[in-house]
Amino acid sequence: MFAAFAAANTNLLFQVNYRPYMLLAELTYGCPLHCPYCSNPVEFPGGRQLSTEEWRRVFHEGAELGVLHAGLSGGEPLLRADLVELVAAAHEAGLYTNLITSAVGLQPRRAAQLREAGLDSIQISFQSHQAGLADKIAGKAAHAIKLKAAEMVRELGFPLTVNVVLHRSNIDGIEPIILLAESLGAERLELANTQFYGWAFKNRGALLPTRDQINLALEVVAAQKSRLLGVMDILFVTPDYYSERPKPCMNGWGRQFLTVNPVGDVLPCPTASAIPGMRFENVRQRPLGWIWADSESFNRFRGADWMPVPCRDCSFREIDFGGCRCQAALITGDPNATDPACSLALHRDKLKSFVDSIPQNRGESPFAEKDLRFISFRQNPSP
Amino acid sequence: MTSLDQQSRPTLARGVRLRLDPITGEPVLLFPEGFLPLDDIMHDILRRCTGEATLESIISTLVEEYEIDHGTAEADVCECLLHLQQRILISFSK
Repeated sequence: MFAAFAAANTNLLFQVNYRPYMLLAELTYGCPLHCPYCSNPVEFPGGRQLSTEEWRRVFHEGAELGVLHAGLSGGEPLLRADLVELVAAAHEAGLYTNLITSAVGLQPRRAAQLREAGLDSIQISFQSHQAGLADKIAGKAAHAIKLKAAEMVRELGFPLTVNVVLHRSNIDGIEPIILLAESLGAERLELANTQFYGWAFKNRGALLPTRDQINLALEVVAAQKSRLLGVMDILFVTPDYYSERPKPCMNGWGRQFLTVNPVGDVLPCPTASAIPGMRFENVRQRPLGWIWADSESFNRFRGADWMPVPCRDCSFREIDFGGCRCQAALITGDPNATDPACSLALHRDKLKSFVDSIPQNRGESPFAEKDLRFISFRQNPSP
Repeated sequence: MTSLDQQSRPTLARGVRLRLDPITGEPVLLFPEGFLPLDDIMHDILRRCTGEATLESIISTLVEEYEIDHGTAEADVCECLLHLQQRILISFSK
């Protein structure tokens, strides 16, 4: 999702500064699926979930700060019994609202109520084009439910985005996946290679595709993109483990995005809790505007003063901002380090030795029955 | 350039909203997963894309409003709309 947002706005990079254009509202950590690449935190923060009224205040404070887009996500946002009210609250605050969902639990009546409440668009995740594999990845028989939900979404007149997280077991099906999204009438398709945080980091040995798989996928995407020009917008996010330059994560720390998690902590990026020693402010204690402008967490990696060598003297420093802080922390143990996805990074070898250690013949899918034991499926809290 | 039917009626695609940015007052196009800040000319084109006016009539209006020649207006409008159509932000009805 973020990648798509960023890609749509690369032309803005040097026109804007420090304004939260998008608010990701993680409404709950609960989810009926158990995908092994889930980027929810491995350990959940304590505290009560935000109430309807508290979210209403967050949306209004966000709008005053300049937020244009609200992504309503989770976990699975449909697990919030008050989702229709939350959509209405974001809509009344003047925000563009996008529901980011597995579609499990999207009944026709509720979908119509969401439409009525002002919901602007829906993004549905799919795990594969094949029901069997998809259900294995999700840890639940969800594929058929998703197909029905996508049809209903179109009948109600919502624009549909299909999101598929790619990894070693499903990336070879990229062409039939594109055909599936086309047949569902999606306007947009996000083919996002797994980003290795949270559960995905734990499972990265089983998830990272081979270099050949990526190259083949790139060819298929290029051909399908030109075939579908003007019909379906396809976004392909490459895995940065194979790249020479790091991604401009979040378009810069604390620069355009903010995430509010289910208990009200405000994060510069959804996975920032992976950084050891970070303390996040909570909307129950502080106004969103103060957190955005003045909190230690949002200021920690703004600008170039925090940057190590070679970033601080690098001509790319305002293009990629030194890459991803969470990835630096996960792989090197130091959140101030250059993202090892950069070929110039001091700790590049830590990423490279991992990449070199994965089997480059694609072998059997880790979702084959006998290999399931190598995968940690995330366990979700009850909502 | 003009592979667009002059009699078709351009309209914002599903889920695409034309708004004024409440902070800057500038026009902005909002769509699923992103947004596009608009200059005055793009705004002037897009606010006429209601599904009512034909492409031909939108071009004529802009010719009068900006006092430019028809060829220039047609090229600019078609380039803008084609680009947006490729991103699924504009659709054309008959």
